[in-house]
Amino acid sequence: MAEERPGAWFGFGFCGFGQDPGSGREHQVLSPEPLRAGGDICHVSASWSYTALVTRGGRVELSGSASGAADGCRDAWASEGLLVLLRDRSGSRAELQAWPPGSGLRGEPLWAQDPEAEEGDEPGAEGRTGLLPLLPGSRAYVSLQPPLRRALAPELRARRLELGIEHALLLDAAGQVFSWGGGRHGQLGHGTLEAEPEPRPLEALQGLPMSQLAAGGWHSVCVSETGDIYIWGWNESGQLALPTRSLAEGKRTDTGEDEGLNEDGSKVERAAEAPAPFIAIQPFPALLDLPLGSEAVGVSCGSRHTAVVTRTGELYTWGWVPRSPVGTTG
Amino acid sequence: MAEGPRGPGDALWEALLALLPPMREELKLDVGEKVDRGAALLVQQAVELFLGGRQAECLQASEAMLDYTWEKLNAGPWQAVDRAWRQVYALGCLLKTLCLCQPPREATAVAAALRVCDMGLLMGAAILGDVLVRVAAVLQAHLVAEKRPDRSPRRELPSTKRARYDHISAPDVQLERAVPRLHRPSLQHFRKHFLLPGRPVVLEGVADHWPCMRKWSVEYVREIAGCRTVPVEVGSRYTDEDWSQTLMTVSEFISKYIESEAGDVGYLAQHQLFDQIPELKGDISIPDYCCLGSGEEEEITINAWFGPPGTVSPLHQDPQQNFLAQVMGRKYIRLYSPQDSEALYPHETNLLHNTSQVDVENPNLEKFPKFAEAPFMSCILAPGEILFIPVKHWHYVRALDLSFSVSFWWS
Repeated sequence: MAEERPGAWFGFGFCGFGQDPGSGREHQVLSPEPLRAGGDICHVSASWSYTALVTRGGRVELSGSASGAADGCRDAWASEGLLVLLRDRSGSRAELQAWPPGSGLRGEPLWAQDPEAEEGDEPGAEGRTGLLPLLPGSRAYVSLQPPLRRALAPELRARRLELGIEHALLLDAAGQVFSWGGGRHGQLGHGTLEAEPEPRPLEALQGLPMSQLAAGGWHSVCVSETGDIYIWGWNESGQLALPTRSLAEGKRTDTGEDEGLNEDGSKVERAAEAPAPFIAIQPFPALLDLPLGSEAVGVSCGSRHTAVVTRTGELYTWGWVPRSPVGTTG
Repeated sequence: MAEGPRGPGDALWEALLALLPPMREELKLDVGEKVDRGAALLVQQAVELFLGGRQAECLQASEAMLDYTWEKLNAGPWQAVDRAWRQVYALGCLLKTLCLCQPPREATAVAAALRVCDMGLLMGAAILGDVLVRVAAVLQAHLVAEKRPDRSPRRELPSTKRARYDHISAPDVQLERAVPRLHRPSLQHFRKHFLLPGRPVVLEGVADHWPCMRKWSVEYVREIAGCRTVPVEVGSRYTDEDWSQTLMTVSEFISKYIESEAGDVGYLAQHQLFDQIPELKGDISIPDYCCLGSGEEEEITINAWFGPPGTVSPLHQDPQQNFLAQVMGRKYIRLYSPQDSEALYPHETNLLHNTSQVDVENPNLEKFPKFAEAPFMSCILAPGEILFIPVKHWHYVRALDLSFSVSFWWS
């Protein structure tokens, strides 16, 4: 069954980015539209200016500022600087390849490596898609800064790995969340702004098994097995669904009172009101309630926004909406 | 180049176009290797849209440039942000400014464009011969000319507001060890007795004839800089939990934090106002003693510090030599030697390791017992005086009056 991707990302139609393949239109996608590719889509990896679609038949297709296609592909991970592919090789081996997005997937990749999956770790191509940047065997992952291939301690038993702009999140087989990297915006969830050099478990979530995990630019989200959402990190655009400063200031001036002096110099009476609280940084996980008590089953993040899918199939998004209209649906 | 009627020779638009390079293709900055291919493409496209007169689309493209580069500017420590990204950000600001000002334009367009320009100056890096500074000056001149000529003059602060000033208590510095004061010491004397051994001193007769000493007032600052956007620190001190930084125009800062009885303390602190508004730079001078350093004059960082009475800079140390020149109002300043750092209990975190945990004028001596015995010097710095704060010397500053200081960080 084709996976429909909502148009909740930039449509730079005016400069030909047009990430929606096949539509041939120049304008932004304002509401969810089905994607089309040469085959059933089983995975989508969206970068800012281009998208990689992977079909069940193992074909990867690029659209937007990058174009090209290739076969024998199990997984793809798109970023502005690099396109990382997991390609089939003889036997059940796979090869990790990094391509410049502008290469059109022609010629040779920038580098290629054996992902060093252990025998018996991989049941087959099925179920492997969409795990990048986590590598097969979960002993290592791909990073965008050198060293490009980084090891993971085997005892972590990583099930899923997500990278933010300055941090990394990991979900293990038991549903425990780990975080490491930069922490200036509270995105690690350990209650401080300090960096962590190695994966450190989130104590606040111990004993609460998680099933889904996502990293935004500077925030983190996970969903428990019972459908609860936990969120932490930077809230400058409301990506944590917590009150932001601009909202708080809006509340203050909503009383219609002006500050300072009138034109004729008389003093204006200001309503004595405590400033509305706002949260710029949430340094440890906060539980988020969805309207109607809905349960979440999936979560995804942009650099400054968050999206959640509920058990009953609704999509909620919150955070920063760029001035160019974006197809968010409530 | 522009589409549609432009009106009878729009003076502002002509003035802006005159600032652009004659070879307009130069707008397509060579962004180098560090900028992603997608972003580099967007730069090309945005400039082409501008050159093609497609204003609405160029506006969208330049906003997209700003949104994407904003993320790069926020990724990691500021010093690590590649200059190329800041240049792209500045170009985005330039294009957006031009699109906003292109006739026919909205009534609020020029003020909005100036805010964008100021963001480009604050967060971007110089492009096209630092064109944004000149663009900002043109916009500012236009806004000033637009203001109603019969604007009622601002009056003295009403007496009700004076009460706030009375609350500010000046410490009795006679009871404390005083920073030595010298009148125009020679370069050699200053170097031998203060710079090399790292000893503080108040220099008199050096800055007292700078134009700022007679020219500057709240009204003057509002006149020269009122419509410009600046960073403001809100909260009693930067070690407090509810301390934050925000952006606003100088006019907004003055009416909200200088003239009104706002609950919060607002401080226009540590801002390179004189790079942003070159006209103000003519009112100050670089102290001659800076030539005793090893750095170039261009490398000297000049910061403005403008705020109401009561602003506090918690006890901290800086990695460069500092001349702190007082222009308006007085400041109480305490200095501790780096040799006594242990008694000052610096924070352990990376972020605040150059800041003491102790509240100097209200120390918790149970928690910080050694502080009681830590030796210090103090002074009340008045207009016309310069305090030399040696590199790494701990200093605590509290404004006793409405205050404007200018600091020079040099090496």
